[in-house]
Parts: sequence; structure tokens; C-alpha cells
Amino acid sequence: MAGAFDYALAIAVLPFLSFCLAVGVALSGRDLLPKGGALPGIAATGGSLLLSAWVFLTVSGGETYNETFYTWAAGEAATGSLSEPLTLSFGMLLDPLSAMMLLIVSLVALLVHVFSLGYMNDEGETGLPRYYAGLGLFTASMLGFVLADNLLMAFMFFELVGLCSYLLIGFWFRREGPPSAAKKAFLVTRFGDYFFLIGVVAVFATFGTAKFAGEHSFPRIAEHALAGEATVNTFLGLEPAAWFTVIGLLVLGGVIGKSAQFPLHTWLPDAMEGPTPVSALIHAATMVAAGVYLVARMYGFYALSPTALAIIALVGAFTALFAASMGLVKDEIKQVLAYSTISQYGYIMLGLGAGGYVAGTFHLLTHAFFKALLFLGAGSVIIAMHHNEDMWEMGGLKERMPVTYYTFLAGSLALAGIVPFAGFWSKDEVLYEALVHGLGTTSGLGTALLVAYGMGLLAVLFTGFYTFRMVMLTFHGEPRSETAREAAEGGWNVKLPLIVLGILATTVGLVNMTPVADLTGMHDIELLNMWLSGAPESVSVEQYHHLLEEFGGIHAADVPSYLAGGLSLALALVGAGSAYVLYGGADPEPHTEKLGSLRGVLYNNYYQDEYQVWLAENVVLPLSKVADVFDQAVVDGVVNGVSSVSLFGGSRLKRVQDGLVTHYAAMLTLGLTVLLVGFAVYGGWF
Amino acid sequence: MVPVEYYLVLSAAVFSIGLYGLLTRENALFFLMSVELMLNAANINFIAFSAQWGNLTGQTFSLFVMALAAAEVAVGIGIILVLYRNFKDVDVTVPQEMRW
Repeated sequence: MAGAFDYALAIAVLPFLSFCLAVGVALSGRDLLPKGGALPGIAATGGSLLLSAWVFLTVSGGETYNETFYTWAAGEAATGSLSEPLTLSFGMLLDPLSAMMLLIVSLVALLVHVFSLGYMNDEGETGLPRYYAGLGLFTASMLGFVLADNLLMAFMFFELVGLCSYLLIGFWFRREGPPSAAKKAFLVTRFGDYFFLIGVVAVFATFGTAKFAGEHSFPRIAEHALAGEATVNTFLGLEPAAWFTVIGLLVLGGVIGKSAQFPLHTWLPDAMEGPTPVSALIHAATMVAAGVYLVARMYGFYALSPTALAIIALVGAFTALFAASMGLVKDEIKQVLAYSTISQYGYIMLGLGAGGYVAGTFHLLTHAFFKALLFLGAGSVIIAMHHNEDMWEMGGLKERMPVTYYTFLAGSLALAGIVPFAGFWSKDEVLYEALVHGLGTTSGLGTALLVAYGMGLLAVLFTGFYTFRMVMLTFHGEPRSETAREAAEGGWNVKLPLIVLGILATTVGLVNMTPVADLTGMHDIELLNMWLSGAPESVSVEQYHHLLEEFGGIHAADVPSYLAGGLSLALALVGAGSAYVLYGGADPEPHTEKLGSLRGVLYNNYYQDEYQVWLAENVVLPLSKVADVFDQAVVDGVVNGVSSVSLFGGSRLKRVQDGLVTHYAAMLTLGLTVLLVGFAVYGGWF
Repeated sequence: MVPVEYYLVLSAAVFSIGLYGLLTRENALFFLMSVELMLNAANINFIAFSAQWGNLTGQTFSLFVMALAAAEVAVGIGIILVLYRNFKDVDVTVPQEMRW
């Protein structure tokens, strides 16, 4: 019987078809598609959503799928101490995690397509087929990434989403900012992907397979190798455990680039030059999630390495705090959201690093919805403000755009982590995992987790503050400009996505209310936990717990979850409340000016861009000049030398052909004689 | 029966005379004759070994070689005629245009 899994491939293929259609129309140069290609895109993502939902239902029935459907290169002999030759293949892994992610991606993609009708079509943009082609290709690649059953396939789609991000950030290529922002995004993420690529090769060289799940998967082989039951190739003279940490950190390079973690976060704020629906889809809800999704996908591997976990947790927590502090002083609404995105992905990394697989995934889920909501809300505001993004020019939009206001408020409450909105439950669980595992683990990892917990907790305060500073400045008080006084809300295509996401941002947190479950003892309301537990054994929550305890030495201390939750809720309320007090008036003052030079540092992003440019100009450039000299002189020198020998030899040798037929006859004879003598000598005639 | 070595010596002598003519003469007609000599030296070899081993293949081949020699002479004479028409001479050292 044909089941959902037989059609799962179509989830990624449908948006690809819409991409092909839009490209075809764009190349034909005629306005063949109504709405500039939006309708095929909506139909395709709608189809993907339906299929994803079907897959989701099938997976919830306890079935999973993990098959290779195309092998494009197969080795003949095994290398080193491996038992099987390498194969490079495409396949699909459909388990609870990927089914959930498919649903998120296709839903957000559909809503963003609808919203684009309002943001792009109704605003009279040109080049729409190009825009929808980009969205279609992006959706297809992201879904392909989620479906991937091995690291190499994941890497290929990882690069494709990076390409789409580049194309869409640079959509308005005639302006000055977007092309340079696109290039920056491409280069910075590519820097991380370089390490990822080495990591992929290392995984193949070490394990001979890059499959994520199943008995013959690389996390499983790594586990057996650490237990002494399997042999793997290791390099650099390292023990398996240390070498696995190295591989984990190499792959983490790609994660840090894509999920905009410190120090490769600098591209994301600039990426806001792209159209706002693109920011919502790519730079908030899905592509940026690809990085952390990858960590979750190969969690069985990271769980084996306490060092890698500690680094993930520390990078995440530091990024959460660091980005939140920069978000405090920004003046443009999308910039605040960009920094909050970086900060929230920091939380997800913290959750995963702290051994909270469910917590990290949960925050990934809730964040996708509320951040997409906030970006689309910001998009709605930007339409009304005629593309002015400065919050000091806004104010008083609450009465003029009620739907946007209330949905945006729901998203903000979720972002700030106020009960009972989505972000509260998930962020709280992340911090709770960091705390209990930090207290319960005795090794250096425990200390690292506690430090990370402290930073995460402080970031909660900042998050509450910048979120409500943004809400107050945008929607409350008196209008501070002419456009703000005359702002008007968009049509149904703007409101519908906002309402859908608003409802989700309010309620999706209810799927895993751990503090409530602890208080009431009703553990069957932790739906997400149960959902992820239903995975096949090699990728299930129980397996990860087992690995964390056995190899990571992670144990949980006994802390009531409502106490930790109450603490972070109190901090969020303090942050939000102080923003309300400072910016709640009719005509708020720019209080952050009082910070003086500190504000300058924060506003200029800790001069991260400057120091990276300095690195590029003063370190990389001289190095590449040296490399260039080496290339020109030595490499090219050898090549040119060899060819000039042939040239010179040829120019001399050609004089043999002098046109005199007698000489040719002599040479023939000479050649025959030489041959005869040669045969005679080597044939042993003498 | 004459031993095969005699034929071989004869053949080698005829071949060497042909080769010597080819390397030393400047007249194209002598060229042609030298080539004929060398071909016939080969023919003698064929016949000699054919008789030695009682195998008719060699004789058959010598017939082929004769036919080939006739064809070669036809082409060679043609070339010599063209040579004469262009250079008013049949000296092979005169035309040197076809070179690097």
C-alpha cells in the first residue's frame, strides 16, 4: 500500500518545481504567471505542508523511515580498519525530529509565501518571478536538508540554502547595501562551512559511513568504538574519544556559521537588507535553524564528547548574552529582531550543549513560530511605514493596526519568555536543563554548564528589556512622524499569516509544560518529550540520555523545575517592566543615550565587524599575497619551466624535417639499424 | 638442393646494393630502381624460406609483392614526371620546399 513515506520525496520536489516554473517564466521575460509566481509557490508549499502533515501523522503512528534511494558513488574496497567500503548516497530519514521540522518549515514557508503577496506584490515590486524562484528553491533545499539521512547529503543542501540566502538577501541588487550584505552572508557562512566540509570528510574517513540513524550509522559506530566493540580509523595520533571531539568541533564550525553564533554571527544583522518575508523565512525560522537542527540530528555523536558539549553550551550561552546586549540599543526594528534571533539560537545551542535534547528542540520549535511571527509583524509595520524601519519615527501604531499589534504582542511575550506564551516554556526548559546538569555533573563540564546558565539567565533580563522597548517604541505612545499618523494595516494576505502564527506562538508552548508536569505529577502532558521518545532506538531520547550519562558523565541534580522557571520569569518581568516604565510614556526619551560610551560600543556591535575587517586586511591579505607569490613563482614556475623545455626542444628538433628526401631515407635506414641493434642486444643474439 | 643460407646471402647483397643506391644517388630514377632492388631482395627471402619449409604462403606473398612493386612504379613514375615538370630536372636534392 502506498503510504506517506512513498510520497515524502515530493515534499522537497514540489517547491523545486515551483522554482523551475518561476525561473522558466523569468527567463521568458514575459509576465506569464499571475502574481509573479506567487500562486505556484503557494500551491507547492501548501502541498508540501499537507504531505508533511501526513508524514507527521504516520510517524506519530510509530512508523519511521530510514532508506537510501540513490547511491551515486560506491567504493570497491574498505580502507584502513573499516569493514565496509565507502558509499555516497541520497536517502531519507523520517523520524519524529525530521517530521516535526518538516512541518515547521513547510508551514512557515507557506505563510511567508502568502505574506509576500502583501509585502512584495501589493507594493508593486518588480522582478517577482526571481523572488519566488528564490523562495521556492530555498524551501526545496531546506526540506531536502531536513529529509537527509546522511551527513554528506545534509552538507549539500546546507550549501544550497546558503546560496538561496545569498540570492534573496541581494534581491534588491540595484541598491548599495543588499549586494554587499549578501556577499558578507555568503562569505561568513562559507567560512564556517569550510570546517564542516572537512568534518564530513573526517566522518567518512573515520567511520566509512555518514548515515545519521540505524545500527550502521556513525554515531552508533562511534559509541561502539568508545566501548571497545568496534574499530575506526583515527588520525593525528589521537585516541578515538579525542578524535571524535575534533570531528564534532569541525562540524560545529558549519553550525556556528549557519546559526549565526559567536564569532560568525556578524552576517545575520546585515542580512536584514533583504525583503522582510525573506528575513522571516530564512534568517529567523528555518535556515538559521539548519545549524542547530544539525546538532540535534547527530546528537548521538555529540553526546559522546563532553568537551564538544561544553563548547556548544558555552558558545550558545555567550552568544545569547552577547547578542541580547547589542539588541538593547538598536534603533531599527529589524535590527532588534536580528539580534534577538542570534540570541535565541544561542539558547538552543545552550540547551543542546547542556544535554537537553528535548529542551533545545522545543525551543527550536517555538522560536520558529514566534520569530517568524515577529518578523512578519515587523514587515506589516514596515509596509505601513513605507519602508522606514526606524522605531523612533513610529509610535502609536497600536490603534491604527490592531491585528498587527496583538499578534506582535503575542510574539513579543513569547520572545521575552512571559508565562504562558511559547517562549516561556521552552526557554525555561533550556535554562532548567543547564542548571540541573550543571549542578549534577562533577567534571569540568558541570562548571561550564553553570557558567553558561549564569549567562543565559542574565540574557533573559536583557531579552525582556529589548523586546518591550521595541514594542513600546513601535506601538505605544504618540505617533512621532507623519507616516506613523497615517499608517494603515495591510490586507488579508498580511493579516492571515500573522493570525495563524499568533495563535501558534501563544499555544505551541503548551506541548511540553515540564514545570506544570512536575507540579501536578501528570507527566503525560509532556507531549514533545513523548513524541521525540518515539524515535527509532539509535536516535531516541532514551538513547541520548544513556549516552550522556555513560560517556558525558552528565547527571541531573534534583531542583524543582518551577523554582528555576519562576526565577527566569521574574527576571523577564523585571526586564519587560523596566522597558515599560522607561519607554511607556506618550513621548519616550532615548534612555540608552545615558549609557554614554558603552552605548557606542553596543551600537557598533562591539566593533566585531571592524576587527574582522582588520583581520581580513592585516592578516589574511598579507598571507594570501605570500601564497600568491608562491603560486606565481614556484607552482607556475615549474609548469612554465616544463613547457618551455618542450617548446625549446621542439623548435630545435623540427629542423630535422629539412625537406630533403635523401635525408629522410637516411633517417629511415638509421632508425631501422638502431631497432635491429636494439633487438639484437636485448634479444640476446650476441 | 641449394642450402637456404646462399639465398639469404644473395638477398642481403641485393638489399644492400639497393640501400646504397638509395642513400647515394641523386637521380629520382635511380631511386626507383634501388627500391625495386630492395623489394626483390625481400622476394628472394620469401621464396627461399618458402622452399625451405615447403610452405606456399611465401610464394603467394612474393606475387603480392610484385603486384605492389608494379603499382609503386606507376606512382613513382608519376611523381618523377611532376618533378620534372616543376623543376626541369629529376634530381631529388633540388626540391626542398616541403620542410619546417
